[in-house]
Amino acid sequence: MLQNVIIGQYYPASSPLHRMDSRSKLIAAFFYLFIVFLANNWVTYGVLIAFTAVTISLSKVPFRFLYKGLKPILLLVVFTMLLHIFLTKEGDLLYKAGFLEIYEGGVIQGIFIALRLLLLVMMTSLLTLTTTPIDITDGLEHLLGPLKKWKLPVHEFALMMSISLRFIPTLLQETEKIMKAQMARGADFTSGPIKERAKAFVPLLVPLFVSSFKRAEELALAMEARGYRGGEGRTRLRALEWHQRDTFALILLALLTLSLFLLRN
Amino acid sequence: MEGTPFERRALHDINLDIADGTFLALIGHTGSGKSTLIQHLNGLLKPSAGSIKMGSTELKAGGKKQDLKSLRKKAGIVFQYPEHQLFEETVEKDIMFGPRNFGVSVETARLTAARVIEMVGLPESVLSKSPFDLSGGQMRRVAIAGVLAMNPEVLILDEPTAGLDPAGRVEIMELFNSLHERNNLTTILVTHSMEDASKYADEIAVMHKGELYLHGKPTDIFSEREALKRVGLDVPETVQFLQKWNEKSGLNLALTKFTVEELAEQVSQSLKKRGN
Repeated sequence: MLQNVIIGQYYPASSPLHRMDSRSKLIAAFFYLFIVFLANNWVTYGVLIAFTAVTISLSKVPFRFLYKGLKPILLLVVFTMLLHIFLTKEGDLLYKAGFLEIYEGGVIQGIFIALRLLLLVMMTSLLTLTTTPIDITDGLEHLLGPLKKWKLPVHEFALMMSISLRFIPTLLQETEKIMKAQMARGADFTSGPIKERAKAFVPLLVPLFVSSFKRAEELALAMEARGYRGGEGRTRLRALEWHQRDTFALILLALLTLSLFLLRN
Repeated sequence: MEGTPFERRALHDINLDIADGTFLALIGHTGSGKSTLIQHLNGLLKPSAGSIKMGSTELKAGGKKQDLKSLRKKAGIVFQYPEHQLFEETVEKDIMFGPRNFGVSVETARLTAARVIEMVGLPESVLSKSPFDLSGGQMRRVAIAGVLAMNPEVLILDEPTAGLDPAGRVEIMELFNSLHERNNLTTILVTHSMEDASKYADEIAVMHKGELYLHGKPTDIFSEREALKRVGLDVPETVQFLQKWNEKSGLNLALTKFTVEELAEQVSQSLKKRGN
């Protein structure tokens, strides 16, 4: 029942996007978050859509998988769109029924906002779809490296992140196992009033906490036994490599930004 | 998960009848479908094809939702590492969890707790302790007591001795064996150990890649050594010994006893006979 939850939804394939360095992808995705807001007319949105479409087709990720990432926010997109359609009162009046008034400006604004949200989510899911969680944390550790100067424990944060990612499937498995064990003892997780159902989760949560603490302790012990001393002077098995294509991708992004600046109103 | 790349058939065409009062050992390698099979027995998993009948309850593929509580009460499952399921403040409360879920009153459940804690060989003083203060072996006994407290007619054991020391293994298996005999239970034991299967089971079912590979009385199963070897299993050491012994000595001892003691007795008697 819990296998349906897909977290860290990496899609294995061999594409130019998969081969890019995780650092350049992180920078690009982060940068993209800002330049999406530069678009404010049909031409600029057209350029952004074209760019995103090309990136998606380059990634070889089937649209089905992207759609799965979009599904949770689809409701939000529709809601904001409707909000803009009904509340913006600009341009010509298109339709009027009672207190409902729809203006041309509202429709355009609604479409723009929906597009903006969709583009944002698609690009960021593309990042996680084409980059393994481990690569993402490695990339983040590198990019945040300069912050070590201000005594920020960047390596430890990255380690925490990779450990939590690593243990998500384990925890899910464990949850399912304990759930089944309690169900076999007559526990009911799926019916009854909310208050009863919340109470029903105690027999699930207590064992999960106990085993998580135990596991954390064992992991810490195992790491120390193997001589782990933190990030200082630690080398990597798989070093990140910056290739020409990464530089190329960032230049492309810079050109996109420039064209957005030139084409926007 | 049907209709996704993750879909995989775990069990194929299994026809298995288990009569009341049978002690059945389910043997097979990791991933052979043993655990999947037993989880179908009390509706934790539902069949995507075929049906399961337990007493008067029948679970059908695509059948409508039904109340599984009576089924779950009838078939108690002791999962692998059952001590992981303990959660209450005291051992007593934890044991009472099952009976209370099935609508037993607090007083009765308390009496049951006192009864089953003795059955699993722990002193009554344990009842007021926190389960997390106990040793691993004691925790397992408490967890087993929690399942026994439901008064199941069918006891399903998923590798109950995993991770125990040899002495603990024997004690737990003896416990289940005496429960089986005294309370007229139907017992289904999932195990890797041919020795345990030969010692306790009336019937053995061998699973391989989701299929029922062999099923029969221990003597029948053990006479198919080649078939067992094909799926990476083997007969118990005592049977291996007996087969070698028959080859070398020219005697033809019947394959009926499986424990070391019984076998030693059988061999010495046959030797005495020949001496006469």
